[in-house]
Amino acid sequence: MKVRADILRTYQGVHTWTGIIAGLVLFIGFYAGSLTMFKHEIQQWAEPTTAPLTDPTTTNYQSLVDQAIAVYPEQMAKGFELDLLTTAAPLSWYTQGQARGMHLDNQQQTAYLDADQKLIITVQAEHKLADLIDYLHRTAGFIGEIGHDQSGVYILGIAAGLYFLALVSGVIILLPTLAKTFFALRKEKGPSRFWLDSHNLIGVASLPFHLIIAFTVVVFAFHDLIYDGLAQFYGDKPLFERPLAAAHAYQINDLKTIETQIITAKSYAPGYQPIHISYNALNSASPSALFKMSNAAAVSRGPDTDYLAINPYSLEILYTSYPQGEDSFWGNFTASLFSLHFGTYGGDWGRWAYFIMGLFGAFLFYSGNLLWIDKRMKKDANKTSTHLMAKLTIGVCLGSMLAVVAVLLLAKWANLLIGNINHHYMLCYYVVFFISLACCFTLGANKASYTGLITLSILTVCLPISSVIQGLNNLALLPYYESYPVDFIASLFSVMFFFIAKRLKQKPIKDKVILDNKTIEFIR
Amino acid sequence: MTPEQRQKIQPTWLGKSLAGAVLGLALAYILIAFFAWYGPGGIDAQDKVQFNMWMIPILWLTIFSFTYLFNSAKQTWLMLGGANVILYSLFLLLRGGL
Repeated sequence: MKVRADILRTYQGVHTWTGIIAGLVLFIGFYAGSLTMFKHEIQQWAEPTTAPLTDPTTTNYQSLVDQAIAVYPEQMAKGFELDLLTTAAPLSWYTQGQARGMHLDNQQQTAYLDADQKLIITVQAEHKLADLIDYLHRTAGFIGEIGHDQSGVYILGIAAGLYFLALVSGVIILLPTLAKTFFALRKEKGPSRFWLDSHNLIGVASLPFHLIIAFTVVVFAFHDLIYDGLAQFYGDKPLFERPLAAAHAYQINDLKTIETQIITAKSYAPGYQPIHISYNALNSASPSALFKMSNAAAVSRGPDTDYLAINPYSLEILYTSYPQGEDSFWGNFTASLFSLHFGTYGGDWGRWAYFIMGLFGAFLFYSGNLLWIDKRMKKDANKTSTHLMAKLTIGVCLGSMLAVVAVLLLAKWANLLIGNINHHYMLCYYVVFFISLACCFTLGANKASYTGLITLSILTVCLPISSVIQGLNNLALLPYYESYPVDFIASLFSVMFFFIAKRLKQKPIKDKVILDNKTIEFIR
Repeated sequence: MTPEQRQKIQPTWLGKSLAGAVLGLALAYILIAFFAWYGPGGIDAQDKVQFNMWMIPILWLTIFSFTYLFNSAKQTWLMLGGANVILYSLFLLLRGGL
């Protein structure tokens, strides 16, 4: 396809600048996003192995809840969580903090019934490793809060807007050569051509995924502001109809039985199984029981499951995220946009696909930065800004990966020793990240990338080694250990990092910057 | 207009980007406002407000990304601004206020 030269030049500029500004934060957002696909598995891997306390098929949830209400009527009325699948303690409530938002100090009481149907209660700090991976994904690690949202969410929202522009402009500048060179990976024309080809191939092949992600991230970050703006055009019409509160407050002792509630939730739509119930504000006029409903055969709107909220007294349905049939085109349409971001429409295969797409996405930004650096180096090898960008690219990308692996290692070991480890995670992440960044600036991009990759490889291989040591240390618990896939994938990545580092060492004459599984050389 | 006469695009970044950011957003809002009131289902259709909200950023970003096709920053401001003025006036006329 022919495109006028001046249009091409203009969009080349758009592509370069949006990419350079947004690329690094998006790199962190994408690879952490890949990890969020398996954040529960990762958290489970980091937690000490325990023998099962209960059997979800035989637990008497009614008796458990009744006994807990008898002992802690006040706290239970505020709200509690009931997990219907776990083999650990199924019932928990907060004695400090709350479920919503990032509260690293949350204290939970958990409760289960022992073999004699007696209530056993323990107090523990809520473990937040999965949430912190999610936090890194949503904020790229920027600290601070604006309103009730983390400021990093807004930064990523802006970055996603730029990313949308970068995608459109990237496609426009490719149009003239797309048909000819789409599948070409030209190694013989030099490394930078090879990098450009793989950048283009990945960008175009996963374009729908990237457009969806860019668009949904903007909405996730700014939906409150957009609604505020939209309200201006709605005149006197309210945007949302608020459910009417009941005339009188309910009392927790009048709660319908758990079984009745579960039957209500199940009968709302066939095929959905309740896996978790969150109770809220039970001694008020607007109590709720939020069911996490799982249906592997359906597209789900939440990050893990669909939701169904009922009034646990009147059993009336308050809210649902289910697909609503043909007469609710609008709701279904937006619901599908959520699941397109969360990757919850293809079961486990879908999760793996999103894991890989996320890593490819990270590669896209990384390679984009390298291409820019490469081009600028060829023009003027001594320009400070180019060297700065090279150091930043290596420092930020390697630094954040090193920091995450360090946090995982800390999680694996310190969980055995420290009660509330959540603050240490944050500290560990930032310390490792900034040390790596500093190393990159003192050592220079080339040396730092080699040292960084070797360190990354060693740290990563420590993850499965830790599992082995802890497993052998307590053989009795080994049968209950289930996180072998995490160890396997970590070993795989460790080997990969090692080979990339080795490849880097083999060609010592030329300057290069490297990460993941590709190499780029600068011709000085 | 022959290709020789056609003006070359000036890459006036700041002017075009600002126009795309500000006027593009305003345009996206007013287009969705018409859609909300006069589009399928009207203003009261269930959950349509969510759809409307989702469509605003995608319209905005699409307009934003194509503003660089205008010949100059001035032209961008004139065209987008003109479209905004016309649509907002029409909306005010039809609805008697925002």
